[in-house]
Amino acid sequence: MRLRYGFALFPCPSRARARSLSDQTKEVLVATTSKVSPAPSGSRARSLARREAITAYLFIAPYLITAAIFTVGLLVYAFGISFTDLTATFAAANARFVGLDNYLRAFRDADFLAALGNAFWYFVIVTFFQTIGAILLAVLLNAKLQGMRFFRTLLYSPSVASSIVMSLIFLWLYLPTGFINFFLGTDIPWLTTPDRIFAGFWNAIGLGEVVPAFFQGPSVAWVAIMMLAIFTTIPTFMVMFLTALQDVPGYVYEAAAIDGATGPRAFWYITLPLLRPVIALVVILGTIGTFQVFDQVAILTKGGPLKTTLTPAYLIYTKTLGTGTQAEAGFAAAMAFILAFVIVGITLIQRRLIEQE
Amino acid sequence: MATAAETRSVTPAAREGKPASFYIVAVIRYGFLIVISIIAFLPFVLSFLGTFKTNVELTSFPPTFLPEQWRVDNWVRVWNFSLPTVQNVVPIWIWNSTWLAIVNVLTQLFFCSLAGYAFARMRFPGRDWIYAFIIATMAIPAVITMIPGFVFFARLGWINTYWPLIVPSIVTPFGILMLTQFFKSIPRELEEAAQIDGLDRFGTYTRIALPLSRPALITLAILAFQGSWNNFTGPLLFLQRPEMMTLTVGMNFFRTQFSNDFSAILVGAMFNAIPVLILFFILNRYFLESASYSGLAGQ
Repeated sequence: MRLRYGFALFPCPSRARARSLSDQTKEVLVATTSKVSPAPSGSRARSLARREAITAYLFIAPYLITAAIFTVGLLVYAFGISFTDLTATFAAANARFVGLDNYLRAFRDADFLAALGNAFWYFVIVTFFQTIGAILLAVLLNAKLQGMRFFRTLLYSPSVASSIVMSLIFLWLYLPTGFINFFLGTDIPWLTTPDRIFAGFWNAIGLGEVVPAFFQGPSVAWVAIMMLAIFTTIPTFMVMFLTALQDVPGYVYEAAAIDGATGPRAFWYITLPLLRPVIALVVILGTIGTFQVFDQVAILTKGGPLKTTLTPAYLIYTKTLGTGTQAEAGFAAAMAFILAFVIVGITLIQRRLIEQE
Repeated sequence: MATAAETRSVTPAAREGKPASFYIVAVIRYGFLIVISIIAFLPFVLSFLGTFKTNVELTSFPPTFLPEQWRVDNWVRVWNFSLPTVQNVVPIWIWNSTWLAIVNVLTQLFFCSLAGYAFARMRFPGRDWIYAFIIATMAIPAVITMIPGFVFFARLGWINTYWPLIVPSIVTPFGILMLTQFFKSIPRELEEAAQIDGLDRFGTYTRIALPLSRPALITLAILAFQGSWNNFTGPLLFLQRPEMMTLTVGMNFFRTQFSNDFSAILVGAMFNAIPVLILFFILNRYFLESASYSGLAGQ
């Protein structure tokens, strides 16, 4: 028995199928049971229903309690401190209410704006390449040939290890003397180069001095982290696409072949449209994940060089756990809520765009 | 192994009499797959081989594939690593990661399936509202609950305890949704028959529904295990004493302590990666299933 991706965010055909099936069995069962034993009536039925409800609430009580404290309670508390000048985490008693100051300050804060800019480049580039890469690998694997399971297993392995393991391995691979330079025939100090990748273009047309840092593109160090992220996330999304591809009945392609659509044409006109709901899902998941990038930065660069790999999540972390003047937990909470609004806003726009087409 | 697969595949197709283009496409497909598989797995191989090299060899150019001399010094050195305050801290980290993962897996399996069973099978007032609430909470980015959450847990006095890594995740929205959908997909007849035979709700849940859901439970167990074993932000925030750390945070600690000791860093990475990779090669069907579920997770 297999369950599928995506029923929370996007209804997909297999879910509709599963639901209609279970509805059918329900009807059949209701029909048969009501014949065997007439439904209990009046007060007895009510007390049975009450007992059922009590049992059900006992079953979900652990969820309700933890959600009330650690989701609702925590959110309310964090939202509350975003309006205070709370500094170090343990100094809560001295915190004063400062209204919207933290929020207004965030929009003027050079570090936060730079971090949002970095996160934006990361989101655009990583989401784009991981989606394309995952589709291509899924198409490559979607064949009735021997050994596909073996390849699928190998290709999935980068997603199995933790982001920490992959970051530590790439810390070494990215050394100026490391394997990545060796294979590419380059000698770039990947993780310590702050040069922005489009700076050359702006300099060539004489605007290098004028154009804001954001438009000069991500730094080389940031691109290195992007490549690592693309490498480790492609396999997860590849499996989602592969599951969707394997749901496409063979006769769809046979019919298309009769109409002359084979190879790339079949891919463009049949496969891609069928994958649209999964593409939407992968893009939205990618957006949510990329805007919160933290682990790789914490391990590889700590936001450097020249803050070109600083991300909102890492900045919020340093402000929350910082010491001395670095400790600004109230300000950090405000930045976290702004970041959350940015994420929710972008995913809502994406959803709107997808539904429109 | 890949070439063996290639030659085998041709035989059954030949019997069916496929056109020549079929073979050309298949050969191209295998060619791409072999190259990409090598790229995908190479970082693990290179770093595993790297753990047997000296630091000089690890940072010299051009890099070597096989160690000039196979030495296990690095493994011994990392395993016996001691801090001034704590002896042999690496086995402690491994143990911390292990028991935390086991606790997270067991609590999630139990509480998520209990709640999922209620949502799938029982009628109670407010059910659909609570279910919608669960879906809505999955849209909350972790960045809010994680880091400003630190202040909340500090108020509870939970810093430098394992509670923040155990209690909030005894039951996860994702696990509930996944198991609710699964329970809905299994036919009710068995449970109804059992109830007529006098089994109560908890009995039908433990004796009928759970045994039928083994594949879904294994998948959830893998997701919970991976989530716990690979968790970095949580332990980084809440566990600041070296002897309390998990392996992931311990490795970060290593990285900051010995910034250029790549042999130690790679051994640490291997300690973290090898258990998951072994589990993955044994249970890879369920791992792949879990990846296709991750649409639910919203990450």
